[in-house]
Amino acid sequence: MSEHIVCCHECDELVRISNPHREGRFKCPNCGHLLFRHKKGMVEKMFAYALAALILFIVTNYFPFLSFHVAGNTSHANFFTSIVYLFEEQEWILGVAIMMTILVVPFIRIILYLGLFGPLHFGYLPPYATFVLKVLSHSLPWGMLDVFLVAVLVSMVKLVKMGTIIPGESLWAFLALVFIIAKMQVVYNPHAVWELIDQKRKEKASV
Amino acid sequence: MRAIEKGYATCHTCHQLVKMPKDMKHGVALCPRCGEEVHQRIPDSTQFTWALVIASIIFYIPANLYPMMHVHTFAGTQSDTILSGVLYFLETGSYLIAAVIFIASIIVPITKLLILIYLLISVRHNKPVGQKRRQKLYALTEIIGKWSMVDVYVVAIMISLVHFGGLSQIEAGEGANYFLLVVIVTMVAAMQFDARLIWDTNTEKEKDARDA
Repeated sequence: MSEHIVCCHECDELVRISNPHREGRFKCPNCGHLLFRHKKGMVEKMFAYALAALILFIVTNYFPFLSFHVAGNTSHANFFTSIVYLFEEQEWILGVAIMMTILVVPFIRIILYLGLFGPLHFGYLPPYATFVLKVLSHSLPWGMLDVFLVAVLVSMVKLVKMGTIIPGESLWAFLALVFIIAKMQVVYNPHAVWELIDQKRKEKASV
Repeated sequence: MRAIEKGYATCHTCHQLVKMPKDMKHGVALCPRCGEEVHQRIPDSTQFTWALVIASIIFYIPANLYPMMHVHTFAGTQSDTILSGVLYFLETGSYLIAAVIFIASIIVPITKLLILIYLLISVRHNKPVGQKRRQKLYALTEIIGKWSMVDVYVVAIMISLVHFGGLSQIEAGEGANYFLLVVIVTMVAAMQFDARLIWDTNTEKEKDARDA
């Protein structure tokens, strides 16, 4: 496909894109909204980032991100125990919301990235690719690890007055994870994957 | 040239350009590529957005009146609402924390709601002025939305760290639940708002296209 027409999702302008495989950003000429971004080696980069993200996610969840020490008592918090505590305190709404936004959604997104770009990296388009793209598109606003990182920093300062606060082993992995997730969102270009799906369907139809 | 004039729509999920059938019901077609529903405009977008905006304004009142958390120590119990928490940090000299909480819990939700109300009113009698500016405001609501979660997360982290029985213990207040609802409902409200409405000026040509 050398040329195609897309429609700006924000202002409904029809935009003719003459060279969709050029590297860079494609903006709507009418309203300036970023239509999509194309980078060379997107599949390889995404596969590498997703793998790194999975490892960092496991490390982040395994070790505590903060420890708190007061009058001979110490407590540790990692993602999982924080959520368990909320449930023990009968804070169901808070518990479910936090479990979804910092545990379930980010984990599912990393697994889906891996499940999609892993096979693509080895030249195979998985049959569940459309499903993965759909879930990734709908879950985007609900992963909030970056916000949680800021909250961890705020709590550190808040707790300093009540006792001794010790940054946990996983804080560094967590920082790297947030950075990699941000990087993935910049590199990720679903347009290119949809094009692959279109191509494959055309080949099937012609056989 | 706009898609609606040509009878096209874009799929929200896969961004495929879809030719809308002439005889479609309620302006809905199925995307040939991903199978999701495609609309030229989100159906009843302004009504849903208004409803969600009003709901979050209602939730925002108890979110501010009830405490976000209770801190029990041997010296007694201290309960802080959003505002009293900010004031406490101002008084004790933690200006940075005061600023972060003030921005995330007060400025962000209020700005978001004001922008959405302004956009909702402005698309009602839509004039072709300041569209780019309004588009930018809409983009802003989408970006800042989730950052109000900071305070909710802080409460959760403090609960899970400080649980030493009679010595010191932190509990979530009723305000935290309401505030969480404000964040989620305003995020859904921003998603329900169809930014293309900003660019739908009521010219005859577009009216025809919409009625067709």
